[in-house]
This record gives sequence, C-alpha cells and structure tokens, in this order.
Amino acid sequence: MIAFLWALTVVSLTVALLIGLYGIARKGNLVKKLIALTIIGDTANVLVVMIGYRLTYPIAPPILPEWKMEALNAFVSTAVDPLPQALVITAVVIGMAVNVLIAFGIIQIYRLYGTVEAGELKEALPRILRWR
Amino acid sequence: MKRAVTLAIILIAVIGIAYAVTSKLPEEKNLRPLGQFYLKNSYFGDYSAKSPEVVTSILWDYRGVDTLFETAVFFLAIIGSLMVFRLTKEQEKELKGEPETSLPLPIGTVTRVIVALILAVSASIALHGQLTPGGGFQGGSALAVAPLLIIVAFSKYALERNGLDKTMALVIRSIGLLGIALTALVPLLLGRFIMQNQPIFPGEALGVPLGGSLVIYNLFEFLAVGAGFTAVFLLLAIPEEKFRKVLGVRK
Repeated sequence: MIAFLWALTVVSLTVALLIGLYGIARKGNLVKKLIALTIIGDTANVLVVMIGYRLTYPIAPPILPEWKMEALNAFVSTAVDPLPQALVITAVVIGMAVNVLIAFGIIQIYRLYGTVEAGELKEALPRILRWR
Repeated sequence: MKRAVTLAIILIAVIGIAYAVTSKLPEEKNLRPLGQFYLKNSYFGDYSAKSPEVVTSILWDYRGVDTLFETAVFFLAIIGSLMVFRLTKEQEKELKGEPETSLPLPIGTVTRVIVALILAVSASIALHGQLTPGGGFQGGSALAVAPLLIIVAFSKYALERNGLDKTMALVIRSIGLLGIALTALVPLLLGRFIMQNQPIFPGEALGVPLGGSLVIYNLFEFLAVGAGFTAVFLLLAIPEEKFRKVLGVRK
C-alpha cells in the first residue's frame, strides 16, 4: 500500500510537470505562462525533496533532537537525507527571485504595449518599435 | 462536461500508471553515504558545523559557496526588477503626496498587532535557524509579509512616512549582502579557506549552539531577503494610473 501511494505521488508530480509544460507551450497569455513556469519549478522541487525521502517508519526530519552523543545513532537511522532539502532551498530562493523579475517584465510589457497575449505582442512590438 | 471527462481520464490514467509502476519503483530505505556523513558530522565529529540543524549547516557551511552564489543570483534578480521599474528623481517626486485610503478602525488596530507578531516570529525563525527548521531566507520571506500587510491595510505612503521607503529598503538590503560577503571573507583574511566555519567562529554561547558563522549568515540573509522583497512590494504598490501618467504611456 505504501509503495502504491509512493508511486501515485511520483506519477501525479510527473503529470503536474507535463501540465506545466503544456501551459508554457500552448497558453498565449504571458501571465498564464508564468503560472505554468512556477508549477514546473515547484513540482521539480518537490521531486528533488522526494529523492531524499526514505520509505521506512518511523521517519524524522534532519534535525538532531537531543544534543547528546548517544542520540546520534538513533537519529542517523531514522532521519531523511538532508542534502536534497538544502539544494531545494537554494532552488526556491532563485526561483522566487527570477519569478519576481519575470512578473515585473510582464507588468511593464502590459503598461507599454497594453496586452500580455503573445500573439498580439508579436504584431504590436515591431509596430511600436518602428514608430519610435 | 468536456472538462470533467478530460479530468476523469487524467485521474484514471494517473491511478492506472501508478498501479503499473508500483513494483518497478526503487524503494529507498537507506541513506546515501553523503547524507549520512552530513547527519553524523553536523553537530559532533571532526568536520562539525556545531549546529544540530543539518540542512542549515549544509546550506551555509558544507556547501556554503553554492549559497553564496545563490545570494548573488537573488541580488541580481532583485536589481533587475528594480531596473525594469526605474524612475528618475523628478518622476519619483511626482508620485508622492497621495491621500490615504481610510478603512474601518478595527482593520488598522488588528494590522498593528499582527505586524508586531510577524516581526517577532520572523526574527525567531531566522535567528533559530541553526536549531530549528528555518533560516535566513524563510525568516526574510516572513518578514516581507509585514510591509505587504501595511501596504494593504493603510497605504504605501504610510510606510514611507515612517521612514521605510525604497531607498531605506535598498540600504538595509545592501547591509545584509555586504555582511554576508564580509563574513565569507573573514576566514580568508585569517589565512584559512573562504567561508570556513569552525574553529574561527564561536560554536556556543550561554549553552546554546550557535553553529559558528551560521547564525551570522542567517541574520544578514534575513535582512537582505526581507528588505529586498520590501523594495519590490513598494514598487508594485505604486498606483497604476500614476505610473502610466509618469511614464507617458499612450493609451
């Protein structure tokens, strides 16, 4: 049962990745593209965290519960792998900052050209550039 | 109707594929050697970071240079966002002096209480980063919610009147980033490696593990992230009509 739930989680996340890819490729609205991009980024982060998970019970977070040498062995035998979590924190920070940058770009595009549809921008952009 | 059918097909496909691959997925029951090394050495051991929180010790000690460059990317992305929304001094002057919107009294009072709570909780998340889950980035993100809440409940101008304008946020953010860079350089000046933690920084104070330089990095990252997002929110809070008027956008 646990193995099935595990497989279900992995497959659902893969489907979420595909939905994100579909959104980036097929949606014309830049805001929707950004939302799809965040879906891809967050799904990838969850998948990386899952690499560090152990299918055992009980399972503990990678934080030493007691500051004693005796507790160390029990801790190492129950704790999850901390390295993927550390990498994901890095990825989350970068993802958030880059998403802010993209969002600012989209807002500015909307202010200057009055649309966020990629198809309309394709025509509006050269016309405005020529006018300038 | 068509949507519901599509959704149902996707759901059934997901469950079916999951059932099919259940036996083929590897069941990871053991730690990898690298993870085991970090778990064993984070607090005890020869390569200790003196911190019981293993993720934070990886973040700022074992893989510290990764995080240093991650902070550089964060810095550049925020700078890029501010560049996109840049204004000249005259344009910024034009944006000032907006009357405040007045919401009912309880909203203001509750906001004041919640902002104080957010400040305390975010500082606790950041400064206990070497003991509990959390750290500089998580604390800073929580901190940035406080100005956002003030912008919504009062206005952007209430924040600026009390001294927290865009320049101030940028100064605080620069102090944070400068602190991270200097803390990374201190071991180099003492003839050790860059971003080395032990035994240069104190590992414990008053019986509480400090994690050496971890607490310093967390504090500065807290300031940098909180103030960076505050600057972003302040720019986003400029009223749209005013911004368009200043930019001279043709409708």
